[in-house]
Amino acid sequence: MSAVTRPVPNGASGSAPGSAPSSALLEVTDLTVEFRTPGGPVRAVDRLSYRVEAGRTLAIVGESGSGKSVSSLAVLGLLPDTARVTHGSVRLAGTDLLGLSRKEHRARCGDQVAMVFQDALAALNPVHTVGYQLTEALRGRRGMSRADARKRAVELLDLVKVPNARARVKEYPHQFSGGMRQRVMIASALAMDPDVLIADEPTTALDVTVQAQVLRLLAEIQAERQMGLVLITHDLGVVAGVADDVTVMYAGTAVEQAPVAPVYTTPAHPYTRALLRSIPSASGAGRLSVIPGRPPSPGAMPAGCPFHPRCDAVRDVCRTDVPPAAVPAEDRMSACHFAADIMAGREPAPDDKDTGGHDD
Amino acid sequence: MGRYILRRVLQAVGTLLLVMLLLHLLTTVAIQLNGNPAQAFFGDKVPTPAQVAAVEQRFNLDDPCFDQVGNPCLGPFVERLGQYAQGDFGTNLRGREVSDIVATAAPNTIRLFCVVLVTWLALGMVLGSVAARWRGSPSDHGIRLTSVLIDAFPVFVLLIVYRYVVAVPLNGWAERTFGENSWPPYWFKPSFDPEHPWATVLVPGILLGLAGSAAFIRLVRAGQLESYQGDHVRTARSKGLGERHVVVHHVVRNSSVPVVTAVGLTFTEALGGAVITEGLMNIYGMGGVLWGAVRDDDVGLVLGIVTLLAAVTVVVMIVVDIAYALLDPRIRYE
Repeated sequence: MSAVTRPVPNGASGSAPGSAPSSALLEVTDLTVEFRTPGGPVRAVDRLSYRVEAGRTLAIVGESGSGKSVSSLAVLGLLPDTARVTHGSVRLAGTDLLGLSRKEHRARCGDQVAMVFQDALAALNPVHTVGYQLTEALRGRRGMSRADARKRAVELLDLVKVPNARARVKEYPHQFSGGMRQRVMIASALAMDPDVLIADEPTTALDVTVQAQVLRLLAEIQAERQMGLVLITHDLGVVAGVADDVTVMYAGTAVEQAPVAPVYTTPAHPYTRALLRSIPSASGAGRLSVIPGRPPSPGAMPAGCPFHPRCDAVRDVCRTDVPPAAVPAEDRMSACHFAADIMAGREPAPDDKDTGGHDD
Repeated sequence: MGRYILRRVLQAVGTLLLVMLLLHLLTTVAIQLNGNPAQAFFGDKVPTPAQVAAVEQRFNLDDPCFDQVGNPCLGPFVERLGQYAQGDFGTNLRGREVSDIVATAAPNTIRLFCVVLVTWLALGMVLGSVAARWRGSPSDHGIRLTSVLIDAFPVFVLLIVYRYVVAVPLNGWAERTFGENSWPPYWFKPSFDPEHPWATVLVPGILLGLAGSAAFIRLVRAGQLESYQGDHVRTARSKGLGERHVVVHHVVRNSSVPVVTAVGLTFTEALGGAVITEGLMNIYGMGGVLWGAVRDDDVGLVLGIVTLLAAVTVVVMIVVDIAYALLDPRIRYE
């Protein structure tokens, strides 16, 4: 299905937001989502920008509540009634989805951009057979016959390596194991050959060995079909082997965006650095480091940098000024006053008694 | 699936036997404490002991255990079970076959229930779905207010107002407008007419159904709201399916399980409503017959009819259980 077949060399190609020409399948610009609450509007996603090209994988990493799932629901137009996009654009193959009517927007879902949800047990309908759910869109929207749909459902289950597919299309989701159910979820998202696939924590509910299998499967299918893949996860550990680019989100904003390899070696934001330190290592030496405190509630954002109350390199300027998006190196973005220092592995200079004049 | 149904049927038979035993014990205690109902057969006359003995024998009340307070009287119970098994449900005090009475009365009650059920489903599904689909809108608030108002009107108030205030003028108007031998005048007849059972049962049935529909509307609304929140609905929408498809196949379909259960439960409740409705609207049905039988101390008739109603209830429960299993595959294989 992928029309864009530009070979993409790993690592060095243009992926910085807003720089490269519009070869991106999915381009999100300045996306801002607000929730209506009794205490006034609350910003769940704040000026998020990212782009996904054919055949590439973008990982969006963040804690729960960082806005990563909400931003992808906004892309599909599936936000709950209490939320709305107040700013920004979502361009899918050149069309701004947010400018479309609800019906037109819905018509692009499944077809051009599809989503794999977390917790497949809840995300699949318990009262319909797996076969029905895999092909209901093909039957309902493309008028596929019952016999063809049955055949297609078996193909889809084969594609995601569910054994004995022919018999299992007649079964119900509760008869599948967790890993198999997640495969069904993936197959159902692939049913209409989407150009972009958004996978929202596809492995959260699974145990570790099954997680690896499902991720590998996603990567294989993505490479084979040259899809753009957005992989949403809270686990920086699973990203390394799968993603090309990483966007780290904190409290609704992107705090660091970069190709995957340098993020691990030279993180440019203290939050990324702290996340990396909190990945358990196989050697198991030493105490596992944790990030103190909790993410701020969107209704009570701290002044200045949203991460400063938990930051181990906090300086005076962080408490008052929102950090601008710095570009500490080519293709990299970090929303930190001291991005260059952090990236170089230095601690930022201590505060002066005078003005906090520590710019990069 | 076969084993599931078999298990349910066996449970149902057990339940029915238990109900019959309980009923037997209750009537036995009543006879032991209040005296032999064979006396009722004679009304105001004073019978000779021989006449009483003859009547006692005829209605299976001659067992000495009926005079011993606390004796469970299992002998006559087993005897009666044997008669029931052979299709012999005994006679009422006037010697009319219970099965004959039921054959005349039951169809009218069934007609009433059909109308009630259709009213429930129509009102509940339509209003409940509308309220859930446009939650928080004026129509949602209006429907919820209506359901509270319906609850505030007991069915007998509704029926009395209808019968004595609304029905007669409507009936007269319909006769003048459509002619005496057309359908509309029968719809608004203030009492039941065995010549036109469907037409004259229609409005009372709708009123009884209306009274029961309030809980139903709220149940459908709540069930569908829960479905709307469900992750699987979001998944269906993410496939780009039209909203109508999503509502029918993922919202209404999923919320139908509790609705079917409620139909079963409310059905038994409606048996009570039927007694009132049949009484007020002069419908010759099971409720009215049972009411009369209790008033006249007609033990045989009471036992026969309550047993029959219990059997019907148990069958409805089985049907509900089977429907439940058909609607929710997770039940089937447990």
